[in-house]
Amino acid sequence: MAVAPSIALLRDSYTAEAARIEAEFAATSDGSKAVQARSAQVDQIVVQLTEAILGPDIQRVCLAAIGGYGRRALFPFSDIDLLFLCEDPVTLKRYRDPMRSIAQTLWDLRMKLSPANRLVSECDSFSRDNPEFAVSLLDQRFLAGDRRLFNRLHGDSLPRLLSRSGSDLLQDISELTRQRHAKEGDTIFHLEPNLKNSPGGLRDYHTACWVAMLSHPHRIADWAAPENLWPAQRREEMLKAFDFLAAARCFLHYKQGRDDNGLSYELQAAAAQRGVGLEAGRPVDPADWMRIYFRHARAIYSLSTQLLDESLPVPMTLLSRFDRWRTRRSNPETSVVGGRLAINQPELVRDLDRLLGLFLSIAQEGHKLGREAEELISQALPKTVESGAHVPGLWEKLRQILIAPHAPAALRAMHSSGLLVRLFPEFAVIDSLVMRDFYHHYTVDAHSFMTIENIHRLRQARHDWERPFAGIFSELEEPELLFLSLLFHDVGKGMPGDDHVVTGLQAVEQVFLRLGVEEDEADTVRFLIREHLQMSMNLLRRDIFDPETIRGFAEKVGSLEHLKLLTLFTYADIRAVNPEALTPWKAESLFQFYVSTASYMSRSLDEERFHAGAQDEHIERILKALAKSGARPEEARQELGAFLEGLPRRYVLAHTPEEIAMHFQMARDLEKSDVQLRLSKRGHWYRLILVTTDRPLLFAGISGALAAWGMNIWKAEAFANGAGTVVDTFHFTDPNRTLELNPGERQRLEQNITAVVSGQTPLEDLLRGRAVTQAMRPPKITVATEVRFDDSSSSHSTLLEIVTQDRPGLLHRVSSALAQTGCNIEVALIDTEGQRAVDAFYLTVQGRKLSAEKQQELRDELLAAG
Amino acid sequence: MTRIEAIIQPSRFEAVKTALHQIGIEGMTVSEVRGHGRQKGHTETYRGREYEVDLLPKVKIEMVLPYNLVDSAIQTILKHAKTGKIGDGKIFVSKIDEAIRIRDEERGEAAL
Repeated sequence: MAVAPSIALLRDSYTAEAARIEAEFAATSDGSKAVQARSAQVDQIVVQLTEAILGPDIQRVCLAAIGGYGRRALFPFSDIDLLFLCEDPVTLKRYRDPMRSIAQTLWDLRMKLSPANRLVSECDSFSRDNPEFAVSLLDQRFLAGDRRLFNRLHGDSLPRLLSRSGSDLLQDISELTRQRHAKEGDTIFHLEPNLKNSPGGLRDYHTACWVAMLSHPHRIADWAAPENLWPAQRREEMLKAFDFLAAARCFLHYKQGRDDNGLSYELQAAAAQRGVGLEAGRPVDPADWMRIYFRHARAIYSLSTQLLDESLPVPMTLLSRFDRWRTRRSNPETSVVGGRLAINQPELVRDLDRLLGLFLSIAQEGHKLGREAEELISQALPKTVESGAHVPGLWEKLRQILIAPHAPAALRAMHSSGLLVRLFPEFAVIDSLVMRDFYHHYTVDAHSFMTIENIHRLRQARHDWERPFAGIFSELEEPELLFLSLLFHDVGKGMPGDDHVVTGLQAVEQVFLRLGVEEDEADTVRFLIREHLQMSMNLLRRDIFDPETIRGFAEKVGSLEHLKLLTLFTYADIRAVNPEALTPWKAESLFQFYVSTASYMSRSLDEERFHAGAQDEHIERILKALAKSGARPEEARQELGAFLEGLPRRYVLAHTPEEIAMHFQMARDLEKSDVQLRLSKRGHWYRLILVTTDRPLLFAGISGALAAWGMNIWKAEAFANGAGTVVDTFHFTDPNRTLELNPGERQRLEQNITAVVSGQTPLEDLLRGRAVTQAMRPPKITVATEVRFDDSSSSHSTLLEIVTQDRPGLLHRVSSALAQTGCNIEVALIDTEGQRAVDAFYLTVQGRKLSAEKQQELRDELLAAG
Repeated sequence: MTRIEAIIQPSRFEAVKTALHQIGIEGMTVSEVRGHGRQKGHTETYRGREYEVDLLPKVKIEMVLPYNLVDSAIQTILKHAKTGKIGDGKIFVSKIDEAIRIRDEERGEAAL
């Protein structure tokens, strides 16, 4: 055997060559060239050393490069994967020590070696425990020794392994990739990404190579370059992306002197300053350099996931066949291949209406947008829609997208194709925006999409601590307002100014104008954006069990609906900061804070009444709203004060100034007619507002009239001021579509209610005429009736809480029972959670709390009515 | 060496941490915990259901200090964690026999 070269000599030559490669990289920023040069350098040393140690015996074994080293992509501090191949166990045993000696010498040269010894006959079997080894064999390359052994591996064992177990290997690669992506939040938009393992990183680039090879088994025998198996139109952007990432990774390795691929803020700034990966190494702003990184990562992520989706066989269940059939039939302009939407009719992308329909179908069915479709849309956009144009009906279309179960996929696709920014230029400032702080993991746009995803995922809540939030989500009246707020809550972060909430609120006004949202809807979104940090700050800095904290917070929030929205907003926002940000501890604390506030709102409803001061801010805001509707505010000031006097504070806090202004106008019109009524349609439900003077059986009359018409009341409230003017609001659905199919019936419903309330028509006549005969569907869950009285919440009335099974006509039966026992409703709040009706009434009998006997009588009456 | 374990109101944690940093104490282990002392928790009625909050959220801070820092650490925690209400928490103090830094196996106060 020859004598091994001295370590000192080898080290000197290794160090000198490594320094030369590093200097060349520093001058050219060419990462691809640097990794090839290092591979060649290592080849030379490994071959020289092996020949020296084994001498002529080298022909008894074969030495091969595998993994990254095999594909000549050896980064400055990457592991070197070496394979020692032998013919038989005896040879393997005989040369084990020399091979160990080669490995040891390479270690002494500070090379990180991962050696493997195998019999060539072992290489055709696939072990599910170690798919990584089979993957590394895909990039095998001859180095030294017996070439026939290598040819057997290359031309025989590996093709056999791949033809037998290729699909298993593909499945394992897919599963490993899925797990890796899930761990990283399934997004490329990390503030400090890992260049190797983050989605869109180098690992994904190589995954795209392996999947292309495994998906073309007939090409394995000729070992075609995997890049040539990709769709031709994607090749160039992939190769450019590799060049960029290779340069960035080399830069990281040289800068840190180790195999650390985390792109920290400091390294981003340094790479941007050096213009790493850019032509001529021009320095750029770190934020711009990261945008270039994301563009390349997006190309890699898109192709690797697309190839994976296409490569795995889809189980043809009956449902999936139907799904494919339905997709083809209902959308002839699009088709779905491997879970990705392709556009068959290119003219589709120039018609905004149809284009939004395509994104709605993504939101409903969860398909991904194919890369070619994305490019088609992107290129056509200048002709499809003007930037920031007013698009009639846009809010309705966006609303449908936002509430559909796969809304995040649709929004991400709208963003990556450029449509979202085209429709809402305000969003452009947070595109791939890196905000440097200690906690956030994702760019601002990715964080915003993730907040929306966190809410939709509540539909499949898995943990106990998620379920209470899922319950709140199911009770929301207008979830689209939550989603709209989440989408735009952080746009202020990309704008000049110290406070992103303030700048965000300014920007979102343009969004409202473009969408044409109603003023009260806009108000809810403004509230959510303005207060979106309130609950987190209270959780961190205030004692959430202190009644004063709860009272102050409840005042700020105003209504239970706002509280629900803000709680879910906070849940989604914290959870989208990083995967560990929302611990079960924090989630439970948030829910306890919600419960305490909701409970306080309900208890304090009757006790806290409104008494206007001389310059009350509420009065000023309502006067402003009145001025907008043409009234003369100064003349109305006193009258408005009288109208608000004695109403529960909750009424003033829970309604917008515009709503209160409308109620006030209705109260003024009582002079002309003693029942004022407004019926309006909102989405799939109706809202009835009735203002009149208090009278017996009022609530029972309205709820009875609605029940007689077959309407399903799911929410109601009744407030009265000190002078006995009542403002009742009912939210109901029309399950038989009576009003929708017969426009004339709407007026008749209004007339019926007015007649019942003013005593012209006995309710019994209506009920007799239209006996409540709706077929009762058997309930999915059975809710036991609970009746509770509480004398401590109000100083002058008794709180009655009823929880029972929701059913048609329920509210009429309950309010009739109250009237029959002589109870006066001071305040009422009626709500429905799925099939549970949750009603709260503050009651008096002749101006006093209910006695124990009266409570018992009422309980008996209610249980009998139920 | 002395180990200090303080269980405090979550709302006081930021103030306590900042104050400890200001007197030169930076190493600490922080956990989100639940529990109750004599405070016992309370019950909330929400939409017809009773929610018993018997274990209240608290933050636990643990640190091991050389003797000369123990008093000032305790005073700092008391000053910043106290609101005067039930539920402010507790401080437990105990002796530590040995500390070993795993990286370089240094022992005693030098390892802190």
